[in-house]
Amino acid sequence: MNTKSRRRWLGGASAALGLLVLAGCAKDAPQDTWQPAGANAEKIDNLQQPVFLVAGIVGVIVFLAVGWAVFRYRDRGQGIPEQTHGKPALEITLTVIPVLILIGVAIPTASTIFDLAKTDDTEMIVNVTGQQWWWEYDYPANGDNADRYGIAAPIVTSGQLVIPENTKVLLRVTSRDVIHSYWIPKLNGKKDSVPGRVHPLRLEASQPGIYAGQCTEFCGLSHAYMRMETVVLSRPDFDAWVANQLSSYTPPAEGTLAAEGESVFIAQCARCHQVNGLTNSDGSLIVSAPEQYVVSGAAPNLTYLMTRNTFAGASWDLLTPACREDVWNADPSEFGPKYLAGVSEPCLNQKDLREWLRNAPEKKPMYADPTKLQETDGKYRGMPALGLTEDQIDALVAYLLELK
Amino acid sequence: MADTAVAHGADHGAHHTSTGLSNNKLGMWIFLGSECLLFGGLISTYMLYKGRVGEGPQPDQIYDIPFTSVSSFVLLMSSLTMVLAVSAAHRNDDRNTNLWLTVTAILGATFVGGQVYEFTAFYREGLGFTTSLFGSSFYTLTGFHGVHVTVGIIMLMALVGMVRRNRIPGSKAETVEMIGLYWHFVDIVWIVIFTLVYLIPA
Amino acid sequence: MAIIERPSTEVAVPGTPTVVKPSEALGVFKRPAATSSWKDWLVTVDHKKLGIMYGVAAFFFFIVGGLEAVLIRLQLMGPEGKVLSADQYNQMFTMHATTMVFLFVMPMAAAFANYFVPLQIGARDVAFPRINAFGFWCFLFGGIFLNTSWFLGGAADGGWFMYAPNSSTLFSPTHGIDFWVLGLQITGIASLTGSINLIVTILNMRAPGMKLMRMPIFTWMVLVVQFLLLFAIPVITVALFLLSFQRSFDATFFDVAAGADPLLWQHLFWIFGHPEVYILILPSFGIVSEIIPVFSKKPLFGYPIVALSGAAIGFVGWGVWAHHMFASGLGPVSVAVFSLATMAIAVPTGVKIVNWVMTMWGGKLTFATPMLFAIGLVVQFTIGGLSGVTHSVAPSDTQQTDTYYIVAHFHYVLFGGAIFGLFAGFYYWWPKMFRKQLNETLGKWNFWLMVVGMNMTFGPMHILGLQGQPRRMQVWTEARAGEGFFNLGFWNMIASLGSLILSLGILFFIINVVYTHKSKKVAIAPLDPWDARSLEWMTANPPVEHNFDSIPTIDHLDEFFHRKYEQDPNTHEIKQVASAEEVLADMNAHPDEHIHMPSRSYWPILVALALPIICYGLIYNRMLMAVGAAFLLLTMFGWAMEPATAPDDDFDPPASGEDGGHTKELAPLG
Repeated sequence: MNTKSRRRWLGGASAALGLLVLAGCAKDAPQDTWQPAGANAEKIDNLQQPVFLVAGIVGVIVFLAVGWAVFRYRDRGQGIPEQTHGKPALEITLTVIPVLILIGVAIPTASTIFDLAKTDDTEMIVNVTGQQWWWEYDYPANGDNADRYGIAAPIVTSGQLVIPENTKVLLRVTSRDVIHSYWIPKLNGKKDSVPGRVHPLRLEASQPGIYAGQCTEFCGLSHAYMRMETVVLSRPDFDAWVANQLSSYTPPAEGTLAAEGESVFIAQCARCHQVNGLTNSDGSLIVSAPEQYVVSGAAPNLTYLMTRNTFAGASWDLLTPACREDVWNADPSEFGPKYLAGVSEPCLNQKDLREWLRNAPEKKPMYADPTKLQETDGKYRGMPALGLTEDQIDALVAYLLELK
Repeated sequence: MADTAVAHGADHGAHHTSTGLSNNKLGMWIFLGSECLLFGGLISTYMLYKGRVGEGPQPDQIYDIPFTSVSSFVLLMSSLTMVLAVSAAHRNDDRNTNLWLTVTAILGATFVGGQVYEFTAFYREGLGFTTSLFGSSFYTLTGFHGVHVTVGIIMLMALVGMVRRNRIPGSKAETVEMIGLYWHFVDIVWIVIFTLVYLIPA
Repeated sequence: MAIIERPSTEVAVPGTPTVVKPSEALGVFKRPAATSSWKDWLVTVDHKKLGIMYGVAAFFFFIVGGLEAVLIRLQLMGPEGKVLSADQYNQMFTMHATTMVFLFVMPMAAAFANYFVPLQIGARDVAFPRINAFGFWCFLFGGIFLNTSWFLGGAADGGWFMYAPNSSTLFSPTHGIDFWVLGLQITGIASLTGSINLIVTILNMRAPGMKLMRMPIFTWMVLVVQFLLLFAIPVITVALFLLSFQRSFDATFFDVAAGADPLLWQHLFWIFGHPEVYILILPSFGIVSEIIPVFSKKPLFGYPIVALSGAAIGFVGWGVWAHHMFASGLGPVSVAVFSLATMAIAVPTGVKIVNWVMTMWGGKLTFATPMLFAIGLVVQFTIGGLSGVTHSVAPSDTQQTDTYYIVAHFHYVLFGGAIFGLFAGFYYWWPKMFRKQLNETLGKWNFWLMVVGMNMTFGPMHILGLQGQPRRMQVWTEARAGEGFFNLGFWNMIASLGSLILSLGILFFIINVVYTHKSKKVAIAPLDPWDARSLEWMTANPPVEHNFDSIPTIDHLDEFFHRKYEQDPNTHEIKQVASAEEVLADMNAHPDEHIHMPSRSYWPILVALALPIICYGLIYNRMLMAVGAAFLLLTMFGWAMEPATAPDDDFDPPASGEDGGHTKELAPLG
C-alpha cells in the first residue's frame, strides 16, 4: 500500500473516532443523554462516562495496532514469514486483559442497576399511561400525594407531567393499547409502558424547567408524534399548580364568543374529551365516554388545557415561538411563575391549533378514516376530522383559551 | 480430466463417512435436536398461559386424567412395537417388520383418535380455540404434537408399502431405524407434555 | 423427505435374480437429464450452481433493501420530511430490516457456504443435494412472496421485531403482517433444511485426514452458524405460528384483554433474534479469517482459539437475548444477569480481533481489494463491538436503546462487519467461481466509496442517538434538534449524503462485475491468483461438477499451502516447491474411477412452489389453500417416488458406454 492510501486509512479511523468526540458540539439538544439534570440520570452518567472512555482507549489501541501492522509489515520484498500458529502465552494475556477490564465495568454496572431500581424512599406517585399517541398522567389522591402535596382529589392531565423539584417521584407506567416507552433523557433512562403490566420508573430533577422526552418504543403510525415533557417546579410553585388543578370549573360569561365555543365543545368534543365540571343546560354533569369511540378508550382531559404549553401528544406548541422561548429558556429562578401563567391569547399559537381543529388526522397521521372503522371494531385510533366551520373554530379557540 | 467417469444418482450413503453414522441417520438426529426447541417454545407458551382462563373452563375442570392416561399408555406401547419392528428389520425379517410397523401405526392412530375425541369433548364443555389463553395454548401445543404423530403414521404406512414391494432405497434396516428415531422422539415429547400439561395442576 | 435422498445403485427385485437399474427402480417420472440450457438451473442439485443462485437472488434483494434504506435517509434528510407518508415510512423500515437480514445477509452467507464448504472439506457435494435445492427455492419464493405485499395493499408495518400487540389485526389491519409472517415461515424452512444439510455435510463428508481441527476456518464458522440456525429457527417458527394463529384464527396469544403478556413475543423473538445476530456476522468472520492469512502469507494466528471462540460465541449467544429488553420492564436481577452475560460475550469476540491483528503482525502484507475489505471489517467491527460494550452496561443502555446510537452500533457490526466481509468474499472468490478476477482499480473505488459512505452514514448516528434522537420516527423536529452548527439537523444531513455515497460505492461493484464479464480485455485469471492456502483452491476455476477428480488426503491445516511450500530444515527458509498448476496436475494424475453424482430433479422447485400458493390461500381464499396443500402432497409424493438417477441415454454429452452404461463423461461446466 502506498503512503497516501495508508494516510487515508489512519485518517478514516481517526475521523470515525473524532465523530464521537464531536458529539459535544450540538448545543443544548433537549434530549441529550449526556446532560443529566437529576439524581437518576447522574448515576447513569457517572457509569457511562468512564465506560465510553475505556472503550475509546481500547479502540485507539486497536486502530494503532492495525495501522502499525499495515505500515510495518507491508510487502517490501521480505521473505515468506515463519509459519507460526500462535503464541499461547501472548494469547492468554490478550484474553485476560479484556476480562479484567470487563470485570472492572461489571461491578459498578450491577450496583447501579440495583440502585436505580430502588423505590422504597419514594415521595410521590404518578400513574403514567401511554396510548396511541399521547401520555396521560394521573395523580392519585392518597398516601404521600394527599398528605404531603395536598393532592386532595385525583388530578388527570396529559402531555406535560408536572413534578416538584428534588422529589423522588415514582412513575407507575402502563399502556392502554400497544407498547410505548417513557423517556425523559435528562432525568432517567427509558421504561416501556406495556399493556397489562405496571413498570416503576423513578424521576428526580434538581432544577425547575421543562425536560423534553419522546416515546421510544415503536407504537404505530404516529410514533414520531408521541412526545412528552416533564415540567419541574419549585415546591411553592408546585403547590400553586396543584391548587389550580383542583379549582372548580368556571363557565365562560354568557354572550361571549367563548360561551358559544362551550356549546360547540359540548356538541362536538365532550363525547371524548372530559372537562371536569362542565354541565348540560339542565345542569347535569357531562361525563365523556371515549371508550365508545376510540380503541384505547381514552382521550386527553382538557380541563386545564391552557396550563400546559403543548398539545396533541406534545407535538405542537400552544405558545407562539417568542412566548415559548420566554418560558422554555427562562432562568430556573424565574421559570415557575412564567409556566404557571399558562397560555394567554396574545401568546397562543393560533396556526397549529386551528389546523388541528380543522383536520386533525391531516396534521398528525392517525387511523381516523370513518370509512375504515370496520377494521378496528368500529372505533378510531386518534382524533377524526370533525368538519367544523371556521366560525365554530373561532368560538372553540376562544373557549379553549379559558381552560386554565 | 476428460477421461474421468462420472455417474449420476448413485449411492454415497454406503460410503465411508467421517463420523461413521450415515448421513440420513445423522440428519435425523440433528433435525430432532431442532424439534426440541420447537416443542420447548410451545411448552413454555403453555406453561405461561395455563392459568389464564378468563371466562372459560379451568384445566382441572375439563381434563379427564384416566382417559388421557390410557391413550398415553397406548402411545408408549407403540414405542415398544417400534423397537420390535426395528429389530425385525435388522434380522431382515420382512414379515415381522411389516407386522410391527403396522401395529405401531394402529396404536399411533388410536392415540390420535383419542386426541380427536378429547378435543371434541373439551369443545363441548366450552373450551374453544379462542376461548382463553389456556385454550389457545393448549390446542396449539397438543395439536402440534398430534400433527407430528399423524406425520409419523403416514411415514409408517408408506414404509410398510415400500417394504412390501421391496422399494426401499438404501439399507432397509436403517430406514426403519430412522423412522423409529422420529417415532420415539414424538413419544418422549408426549411424556413431557402429559406430565407438564395434565399431571401437574395449574 | 430426507430419508430417501441417496438410493442405492442397485435394487434387488424379490423372486427374480435380475438386478434393476436405479433409473428404473422407482418412481413415476423420469429424472431430468443434464443440459447446458437455462432450464438446467431450475432442476440442478449442484451445490455450486445453487450457491451462485443464492448469491444472485440475495444480491437482488440487497438492492431492494438498499433502495428502501435510501428512501428512509431521504425522508430524514431534513426536518418534517415529506418524501414518505408515516404509513409508507413504517413499511419501509420494516421491510428494509427484514430484507437485509432474511433476504440478503443470511442467504448471501448461504451462497458462500453452499459453494465453498464442500470444496473446503474435500467433498463432491452436500449430504442432501435435493434438499439443498429445495432450500434455495423456499428462500427465493419466500422472498418474492414477502415482497408482493407491496403491491397487495401494503407491506408489514410493525418493524422487523414485530412487537405484540402492535402486530395484531386491530393495530395493523392490512395484510402486510400476514405476508411477513408467512414469508418468514417459508424462508425459515430454507434456513432449517440448509442447516441440517450443512451440519451433516461438514461432520460426515470430510476428505480423509480432514480432522475438525484441520478444517478451514470459514467452514468452522459455517458449522457454528448452522447450529445456531438449527436451534434458533424453531423458536421464531413458534412465535410466527402464535402470531399467525392470532391474526388468521383469532387465537388469543397476544390479546391483553384476555390476559396475555406482550413480553412473551419479545422473549421468543429475541431468543431467536440474538443468535440471529451471530448468524449474520460469523460467516463474515470466517471469510476474513481466510483472507487475512492469505494476504499476510502467514497461517491464522491462534487457529484453535479462533475456532473455539466462534463456538463460544455460539454458546454464550443463547444467554444474552434479554439485553434487547433492558427497558422493557424486567426485574433488576434479570437485567443484571443479562448485562453481565453480554459483557462476557465481548471476550471471545475481542479474541478474534486480536487474532486478526496478530496474523498481520510479522507478515508480508499485500493489499488487494479482498484484503482491503477484510481490514475494513476489522476496524469497523471494532467500533461496532466497542459501542456494543457500552450498551451491555444496562443503565447506560436504557438511555441508548431505541435511539440512533443503536442504529449506528448494529450498522457498524452488520454493514461495516458482515457486509464488508461478504464483499471481501466476492473479490476473493470471484476468480474461483467465474474464472475472471474483478478489476482491482474499480475494486478500490468500490472499497473506498463504501468506507467513506458507510462511516458518513452511520458515524453521525452515534451522535444523533446520544443526543436523544429516537429511531423509527417518520420525522424529526427542529424543536428537539438543539442549537449550533453541529446540531442534529447537520448530522442527519451528513448521514443522508453518506447513504448516497455508499450507494455509489455499491454501484461501482455492479459496474465492476459488468465490466469484468463484458469487456474482452479482461483475461482469464490464473489458477491461484492470491497464492491461497485452503482446499477450495485445489480445484479448477471454476471447479468441475464433481469438484475433485480424486479426493485429496489431508495432512495439514492449510493443506494447499503445504503442498506448494516447504521449509528448508537447515535454513528454516520457506520456499515454493510447486505451483498451483503442478499441485492440481499431481492430484488429478490418478482420478477416482467411479464418481457418483446426484441426478437433477424436478421436485425441489415444485414442492417449494406449493408453499407460497398455500400462503396466498391462507390470506385470500381457503379454496386456494386447499389447492396448494393438494399440490404440496402430490409433489412430495413425486419427490419420494422419484427414480434414483436420470435415464442413461439422457446425458449431455451422450453416453460413452463404459461400465455398464451408467457412468458417463461429463463436460466441465463453463
